[in-house]
Amino acid sequence: MQRSDLDTWGERLTRRLAGGLSRRSILARLGGVLVAAPVFPLLPVQRARATDAPHETDFSRHAQTHDDTACNYWRYCGIDGNLCSCCGGSVHSCPPGSQPSPTSWIGSCVNPDDQRAYLIAYRDCCGANECNKCSCLNTDHAMPIYRPQANNHIIWCFGTNSFEYHCSMAVLVGLAE
Amino acid sequence: MKRIAHPASKAAGAALSLLIGIGLGMPAWGAGQKPSANAPPVLQSETASVTPFAGMTSHDISYSAMDGIDGGGIRIINGDTAQLVASVYSSQYANFVWGPGHHTLYVSETYWTLGNRGKREDVLSIYGGPTLSNEGEIDLPELLISDPKTHTLALSPDGHYAYVYSFQPAPAVSVIDLKARKVMTSVEVPGCGLVFPYGPRGFASLCADGSLATADVKANGQFMVHRSKRFFDVMHDPVMDESVSDEHSGLALFITYDGWVHPVHLADTPTFEKPWSIEEAAGMSPATSHTGQITWRPGGQVPFAYERSRHRLFVLMHEGPPWSFEKPGSEIWVLDTRTHRLLHRWAVPESAYLVAVTPDAHPLLFALSHDWLWVMNAETGAVQRATQIVTPGLVRVGGE
Repeated sequence: MQRSDLDTWGERLTRRLAGGLSRRSILARLGGVLVAAPVFPLLPVQRARATDAPHETDFSRHAQTHDDTACNYWRYCGIDGNLCSCCGGSVHSCPPGSQPSPTSWIGSCVNPDDQRAYLIAYRDCCGANECNKCSCLNTDHAMPIYRPQANNHIIWCFGTNSFEYHCSMAVLVGLAE
Repeated sequence: MKRIAHPASKAAGAALSLLIGIGLGMPAWGAGQKPSANAPPVLQSETASVTPFAGMTSHDISYSAMDGIDGGGIRIINGDTAQLVASVYSSQYANFVWGPGHHTLYVSETYWTLGNRGKREDVLSIYGGPTLSNEGEIDLPELLISDPKTHTLALSPDGHYAYVYSFQPAPAVSVIDLKARKVMTSVEVPGCGLVFPYGPRGFASLCADGSLATADVKANGQFMVHRSKRFFDVMHDPVMDESVSDEHSGLALFITYDGWVHPVHLADTPTFEKPWSIEEAAGMSPATSHTGQITWRPGGQVPFAYERSRHRLFVLMHEGPPWSFEKPGSEIWVLDTRTHRLLHRWAVPESAYLVAVTPDAHPLLFALSHDWLWVMNAETGAVQRATQIVTPGLVRVGGE
């Protein structure tokens, strides 16, 4: 089999390293790097990333975890509509007189308490007239209509007996990580 | 339940009977007296009628109402007077478009036989004639998406065909022959949505992988769907639903959340120009999707309007972070789409969610908030007049 130039170059490099470095010297240099690492600051780019939680968004920076009737409640990062929590229901239950849709769009929101991202199913409650209370429009990672599974504008009442929109829930599905 | 007259009602009834008796039995007060020479003429009797509708003028604007309490409806306002001139019934979340000549209105909408339940019917309703009355409807075979977006309904440039984007059972475009009033075919566009017509019969749809689907008609009347290359990053900076296109020239301006304009010449094989940034056109750094970057970005419900004759793009702009693409605009930026230069920045009296421009030689610019319609001079930005409106959903202008 014919050898390529890369093979030849790799062989020369390996032989030179093997001839000039002992195992002990490699270990010594590696140990030195490990000991010295904390002394040096990280590069500016890395520092910028370090201050950013991996999933943080502008919404999550101002989100809270105690009032689910406010638009900045952490699970509502992508909600569009009336909060069921203000209409006689809760963050995961429909008000009496309406019925939950079996379909939904899925978003992910960061819980400020543990800085972890969770999957949220935005389910609409349907059948009753529009609640018209606590209307919120948050758009974290909301996608256009041609990507409907991540679109918060669509009336998600598919699968119910009625397409009359009443309010929206934010049902916790699980960790998104 | 038996009704018992209240004593007070009895007294009132007796008094009314007396007055009627006097009125019938006695001559009217003043009868027989000769009117003076300066007396106003006697008013003539009238017949109730409907004010004739001459079609949308080039300065008219029509908008659909999207209010949870007031429901739907399409209103037409004269931009020169800011007066309401006509209204048409529609369901909530309906879309609408005017035929050539702007006398005939097509409305794509959904009804249920018992209001909020019963049998579902998706139709293309037709309004027209001298009084803008209902002229029937065409049953749609598939189900519409319940989300008012401009590009879910469009006509071919000659007005012969309508294209209706349907969502169930699968993403598809129903092609309707408006002269024969029948659905010709349904073209499936899997993974894609919306309709941007081009050429005599073709249309394009935006796709969830960042590409474009184009459908052209073969000699046998069947549509062939082709997929283009991916030209935008859908996960980080998707093209907005309310991007603009000119069906006469086939030029589409697909605009992203971060304000990148992708000019695409729609055709069976579309051609893509190099994208340019709205922010760079204004001498700024381009907007990005990095958390914490507060800068000027396009946003609103219908944030773009394109004036074909002068190649001008009007954009509702706001200062905000990434993913703020639905925030209303505090300014309208006017851009030249040939030179990629910012021409004007105009503040709007109230943050606006929709913008529209008329296509005539002396264009009007409309900015719509949730409660007000502001009529502006499209060349100077001067606010000329305003009127209160119902919360708007979509907007179409005369001459489109």
